Amino acid sequence: MKEISELNLPKNILYTKDHEWIDTTSDPMRVGISDYAQDQLGEIVFVELPEAGTSRNRGDQFGTVESVKAVSETFMPVGGEVININTDLSDRPELMNESPYEKGWMMEIRVTDPEELKTLMDRDAYRKFLEGIR
Amino acid sequence: MLVVRRSDEGCSATQILDFLRSRQYWMDRKPMTSTAAPWYFVTLPIMDYGKVRELQHQVVSGKTAGTIDADVVIWVEHDPVFTLGRHGGEENLIVSRDFLLRRNIPVVSSERGGNITYHGPGQLVTYPIVDLQKAGLRVPEYVHLLEQMMIQTAMDFSVQAERSPVNPGVYTGNGKLGSVGIAVRHGIAFHGVALNVNTSLAPFQWIHPCGLKGMAATSLEKETGFAFTREEVQAVVQRHFCGLFGVEPVLLEFKELKKML
Repeated sequence: MKEISELNLPKNILYTKDHEWIDTTSDPMRVGISDYAQDQLGEIVFVELPEAGTSRNRGDQFGTVESVKAVSETFMPVGGEVININTDLSDRPELMNESPYEKGWMMEIRVTDPEELKTLMDRDAYRKFLEGIR
Repeated sequence: MLVVRRSDEGCSATQILDFLRSRQYWMDRKPMTSTAAPWYFVTLPIMDYGKVRELQHQVVSGKTAGTIDADVVIWVEHDPVFTLGRHGGEENLIVSRDFLLRRNIPVVSSERGGNITYHGPGQLVTYPIVDLQKAGLRVPEYVHLLEQMMIQTAMDFSVQAERSPVNPGVYTGNGKLGSVGIAVRHGIAFHGVALNVNTSLAPFQWIHPCGLKGMAATSLEKETGFAFTREEVQAVVQRHFCGLFGVEPVLLEFKELKKML
């Protein structure tokens, strides 16, 4: 298990308590899982992504990530419409382990209500949150 | 394939039971330590898979909402059923749905990891509903501990079982003895492991268990020639669970658990 100080936690993105991230500087906004989440799961062997064009509310499940016979659910950081999904993950799910913030992104969404972004954590708040659950 | 035994004189059920009693496996409980966390242990009779799945969902919701603080383990056997993993497994069903319908065995979907498997009476299923983050466990370590619990249990019944480098689970030279399939929701793990005690092995021949072609299933009964009871095996499983996870069990009646939901 990585120590919190070893985790890669970029500062230009926002985080959820379920360890998803959303990049508010991109349009549409990219979503993935954090370095903590991929480390927690271990080697990822299968990724299930939503269909482009579908919409979900904040907190709705949008996909699953399978590692060593364990399926973990992932949840919408904010409500929105799925614009693109990362099709590279079907052949190379391990990209989520190797590059959780870049090549391992899961989907891009058009956010319904930008106000919801205010409920998310910045890097410092997320690091404090991680310290609290350890 | 020879069963590896603790003594080379062979074993009778009485000898094995004597051995276990001498190790105080039956009555003894792990002593209370300051580090052991209280967990609720709930033992259910043979129950429908869907009902227990729904129960797990309720416990997960209770833990997510904070109304159930302790982790919970459900021990149960299921009525005959084939279950598919989140990512399927129907392609590994060898017989037709009609064939199963005539035998009154349903095929149901599940959100757990892994491929198709069979559950039925005589198979001890362990469903720990545990906050992995609070327990300080990564998913691979958690799966490893559950496998270890089955390996140690098998060893106590003089059966040598081990992991596979290819596929999680617990195997002897005769085939698969125990299966693993986990789901994680909001950091709470549920579903778990299934250990074949004296369950019918015929239904495993109707599938490629866990998607593995040519993989046979085995049981403690097949390995030893003795049909140990669920109670005997569950006592050993629980003891290893407590040791491996550092748990102080709090026995809970089903109705007490339901009141918390």
